[in-house]
Amino acid sequence: MSPVLALARAGRAEWSRIWSVRSSWAFALALTAVVLGFGVVIGSEAAGDPSGVTPGSTAWDGARFTGMFALFGIVAMSVVIATADHATGGIVPTLQWTPRRGILLTARTVVVVATTTLLGLVLVLGAATLIWTFVPHLGLPFGAGAEMAGDLGFILGSGALLGVGIGLATRSTAASLVLALALMLVGPLLLAQLPYDWTLQLATHLPGSGALFLIFGEGPSDDMTTTSARLTLAAWGLAALAAGGWRLLATDADR
Amino acid sequence: MITARGLTKLYGSIRAVDDLTFDVVPGTVTGFLGPNGAGKSTTMRMMLGLDRPTSGTATIAGKPYAALAAPLREVGALLDAAAMHPGRTGRAHLRVAARTHGIPLARVDEVLEEVGLAAASRRRIKGYSLGMRQRLGIAGALLGDPGVLLFDEPVNGLDLDGVRWIRSLLRGFADEGRTVLVSSHLMSEVQLVADRVVVIGGGRLVADTETSALLTGAGGPRVRVRTPSPDELLRSLPAHAVAERTGDHEIEVAGVAAREIGDLAHGIGVRIHHLAEVEQSLEHAYLSLTGPASAADAAVATEGAAR
Repeated sequence: MSPVLALARAGRAEWSRIWSVRSSWAFALALTAVVLGFGVVIGSEAAGDPSGVTPGSTAWDGARFTGMFALFGIVAMSVVIATADHATGGIVPTLQWTPRRGILLTARTVVVVATTTLLGLVLVLGAATLIWTFVPHLGLPFGAGAEMAGDLGFILGSGALLGVGIGLATRSTAASLVLALALMLVGPLLLAQLPYDWTLQLATHLPGSGALFLIFGEGPSDDMTTTSARLTLAAWGLAALAAGGWRLLATDADR
Repeated sequence: MITARGLTKLYGSIRAVDDLTFDVVPGTVTGFLGPNGAGKSTTMRMMLGLDRPTSGTATIAGKPYAALAAPLREVGALLDAAAMHPGRTGRAHLRVAARTHGIPLARVDEVLEEVGLAAASRRRIKGYSLGMRQRLGIAGALLGDPGVLLFDEPVNGLDLDGVRWIRSLLRGFADEGRTVLVSSHLMSEVQLVADRVVVIGGGRLVADTETSALLTGAGGPRVRVRTPSPDELLRSLPAHAVAERTGDHEIEVAGVAAREIGDLAHGIGVRIHHLAEVEQSLEHAYLSLTGPASAADAAVATEGAAR
């Protein structure tokens, strides 16, 4: 079997693996309820109080906020999917079926990141449509939508990459969720409140700060730019994947 | 053919597997025996590339497992029946496996039927008994119709019908010319089905020989005698007899036929309550090899150690 064929088949198996357990469906449904629910809240508030709507804004601007909820859900979902095999012992048959670990790593990363990122984007698109339904004059211009999809795709994809990487590195669902929460939410908020320059700098360089800056345009430090935020987010995602990849490639299957 | 050469695995300072060298040849069932913690599972895991050897190699058909073109079609393995996602159905578990090798999904239903799990295949694995999980693991091993089979304790949790089924399955595979390596702590099972045995203790090879040779090498048939006067009988046994007290009123004797002992007892007026030849069991041979006193002498029974 050529590596390309093995990768394609491993990818197909990963897709089956994700959607053949209830936890994935539960995550997807919960995420759908939260993101679309906030779409309804934002849309109905904008319809009820038009003075609160910034002139020139579109339904996409409202939907951008729901991207934050999608991001946290996607990081958690990626962690749960990436750690499921190790938490259940399923990594033993998995590595018997796909013993070339580089292929398993690539297939797992690509399928989980693509699936969760697309899910997040579709839900944010749904939220934008709901907002537009409540406030039709905001409009859904294609150009602004494509720009937001690009931005959010990068943010969600980096978040998913972080989740997969942490999951593969720690091999523990609980430890991964705690670490992800610390990096994405608690760390940036807590460190930025401490009266030290170095904690502020540290907060600025955490992935949660990068994501929040790209979504809301605000971060813990005024020094942050779109480029620095993107770099921070991408670097954390890739570093986590490197750590998780090393664990999968270089160590025993489940020890 | 499965080949282990100088296979060694260290966990920190613990030597789990120590310089193991043996072959598992096609057309035979090879029993893999050893006490708990002897290194059987670790050895099988290294054969499948799950654990990395500290040194040495394990190959299947001349290649490391991960280098096989289509591993599932060449090797079927059941290592740990509990190692499955409990939230997946049995059928979905096998369909994931089938997709990794482009195996038609109809084959999944075939093997489920073969192992007797068809009716339960759409239930989640968390609702399966240990025996059902074992059958599912075996179905996974059979999915690619492989030429090499590795089973770690395959009869665990199986009922009597299941045990008989797995016995005939293993025998059938070997008779078809496939390579079968099976570990089990049930000596009677291994004795019934294995043509060869590889015995390890403390991670080291203790014996690698034909089952019949191991049984013969462990002393051949013995005679069990129950008598109210065992000491008197022991004193009158010929010098070449090897006798052992196995109870207050029971002895076991090797090297002397039952008829001869009966005549001897009659001659000295010792009453006999029970007199029977006891076939040498693999369990006895195994204990004599892996017991602390015998460990040093165990290499005598080893053919493969010098390879």
